Amino acid sequence: MDDTLLQVQSVSKLFGEVQALNNISLTINKGEIIGLVGSNGAGKTTLLRLLAGVYRPTKGTLQMADGTTVEAGRHHLGVVPESTGLYSRLTAWENIRYHSRLHGVKDEESWARTLHYATLLDMTPHLGRHTKGFSRGMRQKTALLRALAHHPSLLLLDEPTAGLDVTSARTVKKLVKTLGEDGKTIVYSTHQLPEAEQVCSRIIIVHNGEIRADGTPQELLQLTGQTTLEEAYVTLSSDKARSVDVEEQPAKGWSRMWRGFFTPTTPAAGGDEDE
Amino acid sequence: MNSTRMRITTIAKKELVEFVRDWRTIVAILVIPVLMFPLLFILFPLLLEAEAQELDELIVDVELQADDLPDGFQSALEYSSINLTFAELDAVENLTEPGTAMEKLRSGEVDAVVRVRANNSTWQYAVLHMSTSEQSNEARSRVLLNLGEWEQNETRNRLVAVDLDPDATLNPLQWNGSIAQGDVASKGEQAGLALSLFIPLVLAVWTFSSAIQPSIDMTAGERERGTLEALLGLPCTRAELLFGKWLAVATITAAGVLLQIAGLTFAIGYLATSDIISAPTMTLGVVALLCVAVLLFAITVVAFELALAMRAHSVKEAGSVLGPAVLLILFPALFTQVINLDGIELFWFAIPVVNVLLALRELLLNRVVPVHVLVWMVSSAVYATLAALYAARQFNREDIVTTLS
Repeated sequence: MDDTLLQVQSVSKLFGEVQALNNISLTINKGEIIGLVGSNGAGKTTLLRLLAGVYRPTKGTLQMADGTTVEAGRHHLGVVPESTGLYSRLTAWENIRYHSRLHGVKDEESWARTLHYATLLDMTPHLGRHTKGFSRGMRQKTALLRALAHHPSLLLLDEPTAGLDVTSARTVKKLVKTLGEDGKTIVYSTHQLPEAEQVCSRIIIVHNGEIRADGTPQELLQLTGQTTLEEAYVTLSSDKARSVDVEEQPAKGWSRMWRGFFTPTTPAAGGDEDE
Repeated sequence: MNSTRMRITTIAKKELVEFVRDWRTIVAILVIPVLMFPLLFILFPLLLEAEAQELDELIVDVELQADDLPDGFQSALEYSSINLTFAELDAVENLTEPGTAMEKLRSGEVDAVVRVRANNSTWQYAVLHMSTSEQSNEARSRVLLNLGEWEQNETRNRLVAVDLDPDATLNPLQWNGSIAQGDVASKGEQAGLALSLFIPLVLAVWTFSSAIQPSIDMTAGERERGTLEALLGLPCTRAELLFGKWLAVATITAAGVLLQIAGLTFAIGYLATSDIISAPTMTLGVVALLCVAVLLFAITVVAFELALAMRAHSVKEAGSVLGPAVLLILFPALFTQVINLDGIELFWFAIPVVNVLLALRELLLNRVVPVHVLVWMVSSAVYATLAALYAARQFNREDIVTTLS
């Protein structure tokens, strides 16, 4: 029986002239927890956005198991962006319900599922509160509940523990592992290698828009001939990382000229020295 | 309910819920328009009236400089509201030369100085005052009014002295009947004309400006707060997202405009009881066309503003673009007020913004010219479609989430 859930074939993504991703191919199988590991600007978020159908590939294809495109199969996806994306004037439950309704799920159904996961995350007492005063951890947990409420087949998590305290990060990681044990497929982006090792069954190292390695932690060690994953990562990403924010288009034309007009030049190296 | 409609209404409802939970926006967009016209038409005239009454009760100090005075001149100025003092005439060649009056007027010792001197069979006079002082202006007005009456009496006396009929001599052409009766326009039509001079302007500016804040909040605001990315990963198309947001902004704008019209109706109703202005005469068909004109305008404006706000990378950037964009409405709106509606060329009804404003003006005058209606309706529909397409294009841009990375 074929376990493939999503197939990424020779995908490249360009922003202007900047190559954010270069010829990426991977297969996401049912029940896997895949760690996307890479430095800032490696292309993890771009890849996640492609998987979520927010971006369209410049080259290549992304196809769901049933042959449909990612855009068409978005009701199978649960997405937690790095920013969490909660509305501060809505309560936690209203935020969850809003996304569930747009997924076409009935309120009773999403409420039952939310209650189930909220108990695991210790969020039940906060579901009726406006998210304005929520801590980063509570926001992250709410975003997770929101992504789970419509029972997705594939969960895309962009740095779900970034900025969280130890306890909150631990709770989130525990839930991810539980979900994995329940058969959920999860793509988990992080730049913390130990975290990926702790949570994921498969690790993909992304560097400068390319997949440098893809396998279980053991396979990565074998591939690089190193004894720790950290050393393996350093070996795989030994070339200098490119500057961050490859998606941010540089200002063009008039904007660039205007900005340059009011931007003083930096002093040349050693410019203060008297000749 | 079909799923597209369900998603659009879900998006619109959520936007409206968020909107009503912010009391500051409610005050700015819904409370102010209700109060604007009643304040302008009821409270403002009352304040003016109170100020005028206060001025009437003032006693002004007037200095009369003369070596000799014609008969009855002094008594013409001796009213309880004028405190009259006398002084010798300054040695000036021209009566308006300031002389000693300069210091007296500037220091506020007197509010006006009247100079009079004989000149053969006539008299010469001048009133000196300080135009920057309200009290001095009031003193001048009272003096001129009283001197005008004295001059009228003097003229009559002189005509009688030479055996002439003052009425026949001074007014050989006399109006017969009531001036108001000479106007065949009904009071309702006259009211329509008066209102057509500013209602289109206010409606247009308000429609545009009340859509700015929600448009920014629902686009650049979402982008800045990072909520847009999560939304774009949902199984709804960007067109559904645009229409949901458009529906919400249009509802808020329509509510603001309707409340403004309600406030205006109340103010006109209040004024109608005091015979200042009547309710404009409009048939039901005209009212319906008026609503269509405003609706088409709102569709265009909201789509245009959503598109501009979506192009911006932040709330600040969107505000700095949409704020000055009000001028795009204001200038044509002001210009439209001076266009003569009689014999107007057809092309005016096809120019964006101007077409709707002219339509509103005509309709408030209860005029329905079918060819005009056809042109403004078709051109407005075309502009609304173009604006919607432009907005859809902006919503389809892939880089609307890039600043979040």
